[in-house]
Order: sequence, then C-alpha cells, then structure tokens
Amino acid sequence: MITAEGLKKTFGEVQAVKDVSFSAADGKVTALLGPNGAGKSTTLRILSTVLQPSEGRASVDGHDVLTAPLDVRRAIGVLPHNAGIYDRLTARENIRYYGELHQISKIELNRRMDELITVLEMEEFCDRRAAGFSQGQKIKVALARALIHHPKNVLLDEPTNGLDVMATRALREFIQHLKREGRCVLFSSHIMQEVANLCDDLVIIGHGEVMFEGTLDRLASRTQETDLEEAFIKVIGE
Amino acid sequence: MKGLATVLKKECIDNLRDRRTIISSFSLAILGPALFVGMMAFVLNTALGEALDPVKITAVGSDNAPRLMAYLERKNTEITRAELADPRQSVRDGDHDLVLVIPDDYQARYRKGEINALALIHDSSGLGRSKRDMSRARALIAAYGQVIGALRLELRGIDTSIVSPIVVQERNVASPAARALTILATLPYLLVLVVFMGGFYLAIDTTAGEREHGSLEPLLTQPVSRAELVLGKLGATVCFAAMSLVLFLLSFWIAVPFVPLERIGMVLKVGLVDCVVMFLVCIPLMVFAAALLAVVASFAKSYKEAQTYLSIVILVPTMPLIITQLMNVETSTWLMFVPSLSQATLVSDVITGEIIEPLHFLISAVSTAVLACLLAYLAVALYRKERILV
Repeated sequence: MITAEGLKKTFGEVQAVKDVSFSAADGKVTALLGPNGAGKSTTLRILSTVLQPSEGRASVDGHDVLTAPLDVRRAIGVLPHNAGIYDRLTARENIRYYGELHQISKIELNRRMDELITVLEMEEFCDRRAAGFSQGQKIKVALARALIHHPKNVLLDEPTNGLDVMATRALREFIQHLKREGRCVLFSSHIMQEVANLCDDLVIIGHGEVMFEGTLDRLASRTQETDLEEAFIKVIGE
Repeated sequence: MKGLATVLKKECIDNLRDRRTIISSFSLAILGPALFVGMMAFVLNTALGEALDPVKITAVGSDNAPRLMAYLERKNTEITRAELADPRQSVRDGDHDLVLVIPDDYQARYRKGEINALALIHDSSGLGRSKRDMSRARALIAAYGQVIGALRLELRGIDTSIVSPIVVQERNVASPAARALTILATLPYLLVLVVFMGGFYLAIDTTAGEREHGSLEPLLTQPVSRAELVLGKLGATVCFAAMSLVLFLLSFWIAVPFVPLERIGMVLKVGLVDCVVMFLVCIPLMVFAAALLAVVASFAKSYKEAQTYLSIVILVPTMPLIITQLMNVETSTWLMFVPSLSQATLVSDVITGEIIEPLHFLISAVSTAVLACLLAYLAVALYRKERILV
C-alpha cells in the first residue's frame, strides 16, 4: 500500500513535482502515466527514499518516507530508471549482494535466489559475469535483486525501456505474477498501450500534477473517448 | 555493521576482478623497489667506477715510447698493445674504444727536442665509459708532457713555474655515499605515493564510477544507513592501499640485498620488523588517503572527471615532502602534525636505522587519524545529500 499526499519537489528554480497525491493498493497494478519530464521519476524517487519531498507526505505500508526511511526500504523493491548492475559480478552475485544488504540468512537467500531465477527464466546465464548481458538479461538481474527480500511493494521506473517485444512480454507476465501474489505494483510509463494491457488503476501526471486518478473505464467515461491515446492527450490538456 | 562488511566485501571482490584497477593499484608497489635498486646500483657503480676502474687504451706503436707506456701504467691505465692497419676505422667500427697512435719517429723527434703529435682516436657519440676514458687519458698524457717539459727547463736552469703561472686544483667533495643517500631519501616519497596509488582506482570506482554506471540509485534504496555504505566503500579503499603497501614493502625487502651498498662501506639493513614498523606508521595515512580520494571523487560527475581530479590530488601529499627536502628541514615535532610528511619522516628514520621517538609516532598517528576521520565524516555527509545522485 503506497500513498502520496500533496507531494512537492523543487530543484533550485525548477519545480519537478508540484502537487501529487494518489494511492496504490495491494494486489493491484497501478500505472504512473505521463509525458517525459512530467515528474514520474521524481515521484518514484521520493517514494523509494532517495529524494526527500520539499512538501507533502508519502508512506509505504504506513511507514513515512521522511521519518522511517529504513522501514520503507525494507518494504519496497525498486527498479530505478536505467538501473546498472555490476559487470564484474555474476548474475547470482549481483542478487546475493542485495540479499546480504537486507540481512537475509544464507539458506533463505539461496532458496529465494533459486526461486527468482526459475520464475524469471535466468538459469542459462545466472552464473555468468554480467559484462555483455543483453538489456533483457540485465533487467531480469536488476528485478531479481530488487525482489530478493520479497517486498510487499514493487516500484518500477519505465521497466520496459530498451526491451524487445519478447522481453517486454515476459516482463508483463511477471508483473501479473506479482499482482497475483497480492503485491502492490507501481510502475511508470509514457506508453499508453503498455499501460492499458497491464494496469488496474491509472494515475496520469502532467507538469508535476496529477490530472487523473482511477480505472481505465472511468477515464473513458470521463473523457468520452474510447481511444486511450486520445483520452490521455485530453487529460493532460495538450 | 553487517551492511558495512557486506559493502566492503563486495567492493573488494568486484575490484580484484578488474585488471585496470589491479595494474594501477599494484604496479608501482611491485616495480618501484626494483626501479629503486636499479637506480642505486647504477649510481654506486658509476661513482665507484670513476674513482677506481682503470682507463682502457689501445696503443698502436707502443714500442716507440716505452717510458710513456710505463708512466701511463703506473697511473692506473690498462694498455692493450696492438698493430692496427687503420686505427680510425677500427674505432669507427667499435672494435676499440680509445686508440693512442705513437708515430715511428717518436724517439728521433724526442731526442731532437721537437714536438711529438700523438693521435688519440675516440668516438664522441659513444656514451659512458669512452668519454670518461678519453678525458682521463688526455689529462695523463698532457701531465707526462709537462713533466718532460719541466725537466728540460730545469736542465737549462729556468724555474718551471714561469710556464705555469696558474694551476687549477679540482676537488670533488661528493662521495659515492652522499649520492646513494640522495636516492635513499626518495624512498619515503615513493612509499607515500604507493599508499595513494593503492586506493586511487577504488576511490573512483566506488563513488563516481558507481554513479556513472547507474548502480548507485538502487543501492541507495537498500536498508543500509549512508554511513555504513560510505564507510564500507572507504574500508575497501583502505584494504587496497594496505595491499599495495604490503606488496611494496615485500618487494623492497627482497630488493634491498641487491643494492651494492657494501662497496661504499654503508649498511642498509631493512628487516621484516622494520617493514612491519613502516606499515604500522602508515595505517592512519591509508585511512586519510582513502577518505581524501573518496571525498574528491564524490564531487566528480563521471569516471573520467574523477580521474582528472585525483591525479592532481595525488600530487598534494607529495608536495610537503619535496618542499622539506629542498629546504633541508630537520625532523621536528611540528612536522609530525602534517599527514604524509610525518609518515615519510618516520619511514626515513626507520630506513636509516634511527630509533623512532614514541612521541613523534603518537603525534603522527593521532593527528593524521583525526584528519582522516574528519574527511570520512565529510564523505558520509556528501552521501546524505541528494546531490550525490545527480
């Protein structure tokens, strides 16, 4: 369960986020949709505690991002935009590093690692060093290490960026898998079609403000548009 | 603490697999002492060679001037007697380095009191010995000529001083030992550099490198405090600086017996205990170096930028060493407050066999450690800022 109330974030003169409030429920996939520079990444960074909001509040499973950042970090798994993995470590070692940072016991860590490697179909390359991995393989490693502590909430910042059709499809299935496990999945995207196939709830952000929050059906009825792209453009007012 | 250990372990394993880091961190440590020994041996051998080794001359027509030959041989000259068809060509070909040609009418002209022209054939484009032999041979022959001239004047009842109104007396006070000591004095400088070089790439890779690579942001979402994260990275950098120093000291310990110091009557005894003492002296310096490098590298936006900054920073700790050496500053208590300078001074004491004053050791360790902690604190503070991501 993720909630944001009146989030604001300024970098010097620039107001990246002006007013963002929404909530993402457990067992649902919530999409953060908006054009480039709308404030999606900044919002996700505030929720993942690497940035602090200038104003407003945000919490994950009741833990406030400002007052209890370590509790928040234990409750979330994050895949940042263009996340890098360590080239000189094997896929397994990359995942193990994060598991150890979460202080998961050795036996438990090995068990979860095997599980994630199976679910994400990483058997073929899991013992190879990451240098030379394809973009799809890298994302899988980054995902596995983000989920090694079995977080209830999963934040994905443009996860399909740079993936081919097959890899995107696999990722979509994996997100559905996370949802079936009852987790709260929040992901950002600027691609309308992708969102339509995946999400239950939709949060549209434009110019640092939330323009719409609700289901896809509600979006259609409010904008009187059956075409999602048209609806999206109407909402952000371009 | 567990997070710190995890970060430290990962950074060490990660960087031990990087050939670039290994080469940069340890090449100076391993090759430095070999270079040092080579320099020492070269200086000592040339210095001693100049003083003791005989001048080597090939003489053509040596039978024409037996007394000149005898004179030269008395003055530490090794004469090879030979009959060469073309002495010039043989020098040009490099068969002989220095050829003295005595004409067949030498005795006849000598008796008549006429000028005898002796040809000394050499190749000035050659390096090293031949130049030195050439000038020594010329001086010896000229001196022999002067002796004969003086005798002739005296026979005629003239004071010999009339033809030599000015005499130059050359005195070179530089002893081989002094030259050896000059090189020995560069050793502490090398040691400080080795500590900094050991941590150089790790400081970049764990800070600017991690950020450029995009792995910093996910790392910051892990449930580890920033202090543990930064101190883990600093710990790994200290480990590499320490490994670099251990390799250097080992390499130095192996190399020292190869320096021909006994030829100048000097003894350089560096045992394993001395190496351990030098290592202990440098422990606070390693932390200081790691923290200083990490703080500066954290300001850089990319790997390349960090590399540029750090290659300047690495010169800073060597500055006080150069300055004090130029100004010939004696070991004193106030020197012990300056990081790098105090360690270099103490290391220099160990090498020359002097006993380290406990107070000096204490001041050096505490003052450097305090500065190291301040820098480490600054590094942690930098990582608490959001700016570290951008």
